[in-house]
Amino acid sequence: MTGLPAPRQAGLSACGPAPAGWQDPPAARVDFDEWAGLFEAVPGELVERYRYYRRDQLASGGLRPWSTYLFPPQSFAVYGARHLARLRFDNSLAALRLWGFVQSESERLFRARQLGRRVVATMGDLGALPVLVNSFPELVAFYPDCTWWTPFAMESTVLLDAAAREGIGEATCFSRAALGAFAKHAYFPDPDLVIASSGASCDDFAGVEQLAAGHARSVLWLEEPLRRDCGASCTQGTARPGVSRTAGGVPYEPAARELLVREYERALGRLEERAGRRIGEDELRAGIRRANTVRALARRVRELAYADAALPALETMLVEFGCLHGYSDFEEWQDILEQLVATGAARRDRGERVRPPDALRVGWVSPPADPLFLVHVEDRGARVVASEYVINQALEPIDETKPPLEAVAESFLAASLIGSSRARAATVIAEARRNRAEGFIISGILGGSHCAMETRLIADSVREELGLPVLDFDVPPPAREINRQLATRIDAFLEVVRERRG
Amino acid sequence: MGILSHAAFLARLEARAHELAALRSRGRRVVACVSGHAPHELVRAAGAIPVRLLAGGQPAETRGERWLRSDACAVCLSTVANLDPAGPADTFHAQVDAFLSVNACDLLRRMPESLNRYLQLPVFELYLPRGSEALPSRLAAFRRELARVAAEVAAFAGTAFDPERLGREIAAANQVRRRLREFDAGRRADRPEVSLSDILNLVALAGVLEPEAMFKLLSATGERPEPRTGSRPRPRLMLCGSEIAWQDRWLVELLEERADIVTDLLDTASLWFAEDCVPRRFEADCPEQGDPLDALARHYYSFPTAVWRRPSDAVFALARQRAAEARVDGVVLKTLLYCDPWSFESARLKAALERPFLHIDGTYSSENREQLRTRVEAFLEEL
Repeated sequence: MTGLPAPRQAGLSACGPAPAGWQDPPAARVDFDEWAGLFEAVPGELVERYRYYRRDQLASGGLRPWSTYLFPPQSFAVYGARHLARLRFDNSLAALRLWGFVQSESERLFRARQLGRRVVATMGDLGALPVLVNSFPELVAFYPDCTWWTPFAMESTVLLDAAAREGIGEATCFSRAALGAFAKHAYFPDPDLVIASSGASCDDFAGVEQLAAGHARSVLWLEEPLRRDCGASCTQGTARPGVSRTAGGVPYEPAARELLVREYERALGRLEERAGRRIGEDELRAGIRRANTVRALARRVRELAYADAALPALETMLVEFGCLHGYSDFEEWQDILEQLVATGAARRDRGERVRPPDALRVGWVSPPADPLFLVHVEDRGARVVASEYVINQALEPIDETKPPLEAVAESFLAASLIGSSRARAATVIAEARRNRAEGFIISGILGGSHCAMETRLIADSVREELGLPVLDFDVPPPAREINRQLATRIDAFLEVVRERRG
Repeated sequence: MGILSHAAFLARLEARAHELAALRSRGRRVVACVSGHAPHELVRAAGAIPVRLLAGGQPAETRGERWLRSDACAVCLSTVANLDPAGPADTFHAQVDAFLSVNACDLLRRMPESLNRYLQLPVFELYLPRGSEALPSRLAAFRRELARVAAEVAAFAGTAFDPERLGREIAAANQVRRRLREFDAGRRADRPEVSLSDILNLVALAGVLEPEAMFKLLSATGERPEPRTGSRPRPRLMLCGSEIAWQDRWLVELLEERADIVTDLLDTASLWFAEDCVPRRFEADCPEQGDPLDALARHYYSFPTAVWRRPSDAVFALARQRAAEARVDGVVLKTLLYCDPWSFESARLKAALERPFLHIDGTYSSENREQLRTRVEAFLEEL
């Protein structure tokens, strides 16, 4: 038990000075071996300092030795994340923390259970429900959905095979790995409660949820309403009178928000049952403020990456997905984000970039399940300057002046998948315009319901509105490397983008 | 055996296309839909003519890849292609003025955007909550949706929505449903008098004809055909799965060569007119009294029982009940490739029914029909 203070208290948060005994090297992307070498220079004091579930531990009388997470990459590779050996990483301490924190989430959830917290699996809504769940100190939220990265990180089809045995085979979204994880009862603790959202969302995950429910002790189904963003007939293309807007400016019909509020009331009731007490409005408001802080930091990271090239695409995607549930510890995640923002801002102020100034600027639609694609595109001389990773709702500010459930419901109505493809396209096109994108990549999944229907629509919107070339491809199943054919297509696409510069 | 031959069915469709052309020449508007959850009663009460289109066809499926990826399901691909005014001449689809979409799956929910963008077809979106639990807030939301769509369709048709007419349309539709249920009962006899092909034809016609015309047709068909005699009892099957298109009857015909499909879980067949066998909530038919819009909301919230609702447990309860009542020997699940709601439930359905089970997954393509014939024949021999 070291009894070290929280980083923010010790002046080690991102906005403060660099941690004693450490100086980030000049901004660069490093490979697995370089990362290992870099780690050797990290003082042991820092390894001890960064800990998860700090509040729970201090409350119990001191820090516990298992709560550190800043480990060398080999540690995670040894435990199965083989793909790390093929990726490239930002070389800052903040990024090392980020990777260690992300990789240790599974362990963290089991520790949460040991600490006496109830584990709540939120599925399908990608962003809103953890705001409510994490307002209860007794509960911790996580997304089984995010298990979709695991087969790629581990270069293994174990979870996909398990999903197939449950009834979901190939030609389906890789999110089916979540079903495999439920069936194997090993990748996360069996949740005390599953809140499964379905409705105006993808069929693949609705099916995963349905089958996963067979492995769950307790399931609450919630409805995600449709966000209708055009008029009586889509040909009119205008919002009807009475349409409201989210804090981020996304138009929606108030009736959809009201339906969602009723659904969240049901969820809150079940969460109170699990926590064994009623929750106060102040606690919900505090939860919203915490989520807003994380979302604002994530938006800042995106700016530093997309506008200033101060951070790489891969870490930026991890940051965006961290908005979903803070990788099961919002407080520590916030601290990591603050350090990452400070790192990126310092680089920008020094004129340091992690990608060359002449890198090709591309927009990216839908998250590549295999992160190697982001690395490959950057390795080939490009950088990501705009993205739409189907979790727009997790970046949306939550209106702190409104009643909590109404505010959370409203923020969810900015969700990527509950609206039209036109709306998704408009979001990423606006960012691409700001950051002068020169080409677009849409990474899909064979058999993914929204991929099948949206890809052409979004690609055509980009071509029509920006006049940019678009490459769309399906991410293949987990593998050690990108297959030759696909690598050639990407290279040829980037060549076209480069040629257009003249 | 047979109430209405497939040739007669197709001829009736063709005749209806000409009727629609005549009606359109007098200013009427035709609104197409695909899902069995599209409330035709509402469209009629709003002054337009509803038609449920499920033509299918491999050429259309292939043409659909011009607008959708090839991993969209065959229903979406062929529907978009069939509605393309620049496509091959099709008397029926040429009569469509607008499209009413119901989110029976994510693909169908998203298809209208492509119809509108690429074919400039006006679309009306009806959102039916996916949650199968009919909570008051969800029912209220769905009722608002119905009211909105009614107003939009009425504006499109140049009329006003008539709630009283809605009540009459509900009653007329119920007459048709009841008559269809009477016919359908003949399928469960020891030696079935009615085939699934009959039911598919009749439900398809009920989707395009006015209820009065449909009722007249059913009455004219009237007397049930003579029971089949003199042959050995044949295997009794249940057929479940994705929509069966007008021109995609090969599997049904193949099965009916050697077996009787005595019950089904198809929203293109008996699910469309069936009672909910799960003992809860609402009456089978729309209540013909009280607020008709409320009744319609309650009805379509729960019927047809659908595998895409969450949770989908009601489908399995219904499947077990039907299989027991109809003394089913074996189950065939026919899914269209990329029809996730049905495909994902294959293992669960098999476990729930505890009977010999055959799952056939495919498209409208006829390329592997002979292989499938072998699989079907082997399955039937096992029974």
